[in-house]
Amino acid sequence: MSVFDGFKFRSISSPIHQLDPRAKFIYVCVLFTVAVMFNNIIPLLILFLIQLPIVFMAKVQREWMRSMKGSAVFAIMIFAVNLLSLYFYAGHETFTSILERSLAMTIRFIVLVQSFSIFFLTTSPDTLGLALEQSGIPYELCFAFTTAVRFVPVLAEEAQTIIDAQKARGLEIESGNFLRRIRNYIPILIPLIVNAIRRSLELAETMESRAWGACKNRTNLYVLKIKTNDLLLILFSLLLLTVSIYVSINVYIPSLTSLLI
Amino acid sequence: MTVIEAERLTYTYPAGEKPAFRDVNLKIEEGEFVIITGPSGCGKTTLCRCFNGLIPHFYGGKLEGEIRVCGLNVKEHPTYEIAQRVGMVFQNPENQLFALSVEKDVAFGLENLGVPREEIRKRIDWALKITGTYNLKNRPPYELSGGQQQRVAIASVLAMNPDVMVLDEPTSFLDPAGAEKIFEVIERLNREMSMTIILVEHRLDLVSRYADRIIVMHDGRIVMNGDPREVLASEKTRLIGVGIPKATMLYKLLKHRGINLNRPPLYSEEACQVIKEFLSR
Repeated sequence: MSVFDGFKFRSISSPIHQLDPRAKFIYVCVLFTVAVMFNNIIPLLILFLIQLPIVFMAKVQREWMRSMKGSAVFAIMIFAVNLLSLYFYAGHETFTSILERSLAMTIRFIVLVQSFSIFFLTTSPDTLGLALEQSGIPYELCFAFTTAVRFVPVLAEEAQTIIDAQKARGLEIESGNFLRRIRNYIPILIPLIVNAIRRSLELAETMESRAWGACKNRTNLYVLKIKTNDLLLILFSLLLLTVSIYVSINVYIPSLTSLLI
Repeated sequence: MTVIEAERLTYTYPAGEKPAFRDVNLKIEEGEFVIITGPSGCGKTTLCRCFNGLIPHFYGGKLEGEIRVCGLNVKEHPTYEIAQRVGMVFQNPENQLFALSVEKDVAFGLENLGVPREEIRKRIDWALKITGTYNLKNRPPYELSGGQQQRVAIASVLAMNPDVMVLDEPTSFLDPAGAEKIFEVIERLNREMSMTIILVEHRLDLVSRYADRIIVMHDGRIVMNGDPREVLASEKTRLIGVGIPKATMLYKLLKHRGINLNRPPLYSEEACQVIKEFLSR
């Protein structure tokens, strides 16, 4: 289990999984925009909290936790860098406000990771490819995308086989300094790449044998349709955007400390 | 009706110095079950690639002589056109499925042909049922066993409803049980739908009983071409290195010692039968 499991699609049935990827994409874009619009802690904290019910509705709490844990190291780094740079360069602010600003930046990062994680956890590559296709992106590119995703587990397994084979012949992967370690991976990368090329040739043969490129208007077995839930999500996203723009222009946002004290 | 007709066919790969096969004359009739066998590197796979136009259109190189498949001149018609008549199943099951669900994979060929959606659904179900993979419809292909994958690959070719099915060593990545299931499916296509089958295979023990004809290739030439019993009982076939079925081998050994059975058997049950007949004579 690695950090990437926090972004890898799991086939579960939930209202969030059934949403149209295009609707989810709009939502993620809005979330990104709003997160970048504010640098106060309160609105960012609200953004973070808005997404929690979605995580639970999608039943991906465990995977989501993993992505959160995985991003913790970066979050701490961002916090530290912000704290130090604000402390040394923005001389007039009080320490609490510096602390709050750094914390806000960290939460912004977490919000971004979180929305990414939710999107990829709940969107199957198949429907994502379909969404791309229906958005007018050429079929060849969409096909390349879904096929690439499809072969990730296959290549991972193959890489493991090659690693085992090379270890059995005495290759030490985990030894030496940084540069040495990179060089250790060459005997693994070369067979992996050669195999991948060979595989792609065989795939091309199969595609040719199944009438690839036979007609301009190819049918697609599945069609995506915007449903009520998708419309609701889009509506919610637009509302969120409008409110955020209004607030950022017209409303003074108090700092967290001023509310607490 | 003749579905495949090759005359003095010679082919050299773009990087090849000598031809992969030369002077191949071949006729395959509608509804026939033909096995092509021979040691590795004898040109079997290359010959198969000519049957649906991968050679010369995909591979390039130099193709001399004449080849017509279902009345189409292979040199003049693109692969996607011939592919609707000739279905091709390859060796490695893993590299023939590229969608994220079995259903989508079987649909691929039909989608390319622009078949209406409802018709695609019907044909998917039909093809999956014939190959015994209907219960795998919504599974991702990489989770299946090799044998299941290969049957799905057959289904995805079958869905396009070809006249001829060419299978290039479809069982070489599979265990005997998986292989036997594949052969059952192939035999069913031939018997029930009278589909023409061209099967490249080494496991003659399991499959030669179904064949109408066996073709043996060696060094880029067809050296034997005829009735399975005749071909497999011949000394020439054994010397080339073809894996003769054990039942046929027994027949030959007995013959060598002066015991002449009625006919060369191809599988063990038949061998029992023939020996019984001999003993009660």
